[in-house]
Amino acid sequence: MGLYFFAIFLGLGLGIGFAIVRQYGGSLTSRIATGYIEVFRGTPLLAQIFVVTLFPPALNAWLVASGMAPIDILWRIFLPDPFGNPSIVLNTRILLCAITLGLNSAAYQAEFFRGSMGSISTGQSLAATSIGMTRRQLIRFVILPQSLRRAIPAWSNEAVYLPKYTTVAYLVGVEELFAWAKLAAGRTFLTIEVYVLIAIVFLVLISIISWILEYTYNRVKIPGI
Amino acid sequence: MTKVIEVRDVYQAYGDLEVLKGISFDVHEKEVKVVFGPSGSGKSTLLRVINMLTPPYKGEVLLRGESLMAPNANLSKLRSRIGFVFQHFNLFAHLKAIDNVSIGPRQVLGMTKEEAHDVAHDMLCKVKMEDWGHHYPAELSGGQQQRIGIARSLAMSPDVILFDEPTSALDPELIGEVLQVMLDIAKEGTTMIVVTHEMGFARAVSSEMIFMDEGVIVEKGTPQHFFQNPETERAQRFLLRLEVLYGQAEDEKNSE
Ligand SMILES: Nc1ncnc2c1ncn2[C@@H]1O[C@H](COP(=O)(O)OP(=O)(O)O)[C@@H](O)[C@H]1O
Ligand SMILES: [Mg+2]
Repeated sequence: MGLYFFAIFLGLGLGIGFAIVRQYGGSLTSRIATGYIEVFRGTPLLAQIFVVTLFPPALNAWLVASGMAPIDILWRIFLPDPFGNPSIVLNTRILLCAITLGLNSAAYQAEFFRGSMGSISTGQSLAATSIGMTRRQLIRFVILPQSLRRAIPAWSNEAVYLPKYTTVAYLVGVEELFAWAKLAAGRTFLTIEVYVLIAIVFLVLISIISWILEYTYNRVKIPGI
Repeated sequence: MTKVIEVRDVYQAYGDLEVLKGISFDVHEKEVKVVFGPSGSGKSTLLRVINMLTPPYKGEVLLRGESLMAPNANLSKLRSRIGFVFQHFNLFAHLKAIDNVSIGPRQVLGMTKEEAHDVAHDMLCKVKMEDWGHHYPAELSGGQQQRIGIARSLAMSPDVILFDEPTSALDPELIGEVLQVMLDIAKEGTTMIVVTHEMGFARAVSSEMIFMDEGVIVEKGTPQHFFQNPETERAQRFLLRLEVLYGQAEDEKNSE
């Protein structure tokens, strides 16, 4: 779950940033943002995670080969467990997976926000400019308040899909919820029940997220539109 | 009288299409300049050139003697002194009417929340919308939205306000309330450049009218000049067409 919340909020922050830069940045910066978005949307998430998790060993191999000291990639933080089975809560691999998920999500979220920015009439931008607002004020006071509201429905999809994508991290050994499931199944021999329980946890989590977003959307909706 | 706006030989083009081909005129303090002409003649472009929403590729525009095209010009600051009222209102959809009016004084002029609110309230009174301040744009009629648009401009205490066909997107029964507000502020001495085909308005308050066609000023003169004996054939033909379009109401007012 930590993986999910980290990724969705990293994606949210970066996504808004990339959307603004792509839409309102200079020609070079907006091209960089476009490139970033297209690369992350155009390649499979699994490939991205493989590349990123293979990067630290590769970097170390290169450092050693060129006669430098390797960086420590084996650090880890444990969560003490009352049953005497301490579980890893954070290590290089988990951190990199979370960042990759966040970067990937940022690309998708950027497109949602850009779409909702584009749907705000150019007339409002002209009006803001004509009363003397700077570009920064235009984005802050006119574009963002409207585009964030409008992006909520599309954003809900991302928020609901991302928990499922976090399971991809399992393939590179980040076990999270599944590690707990395996352990619990091994202890209790109730394998099916444990996995059903996990499915229910996912379902409940996703329903809660959907509900919160729908509630928020209705609360901040602009009257008359 | 002091010159508020000087437009000096401006040229503007969209790609290969020359839209303004050497336009010059001055607007003095408290003057109401009416610009009219066929669709596509470059009237909207001219207004957008004046506050540099689309800078001209040649020529110059001065606001009280200060060039808007100087390399060191603070465009946002200068624009805040030039109001703009749009054909399609362009209100900020997420803000209540009163906040549409107060946001300029608050964020651009740097007033406190209370000061900006007071200014906005006064402006709403001026356009007779004080009872509608807490409605969102989408909840207002076109005429009401346009009056908020005018209040938003007035709240900046601009040196001049540009109007781009402010009533042409309105249902006929809503035009009157907007024109009345415009007449009121004109009579208070607001300097205005108005693109409109409302000849009744022009006759009532315009000091000089400018007839544009195909990117040039074809003819200038007082309302009397245009309604009695326009010189150029193009102006004659256009005014005749307007009369047919806008119908008898104008004629009846004439004969009174
Ligand atoms: N953003 C634009 N891009 C390309 N052509 C434009 C643009 N805006 C206006 N034009 C063209 O410039 C000419 C003048 O337009 P405009 O200034 O809107 O005239 P008017 O307001 O008198 O109807 C028209 O032929 C129009 O098609
Ligand atoms: Mg026009």
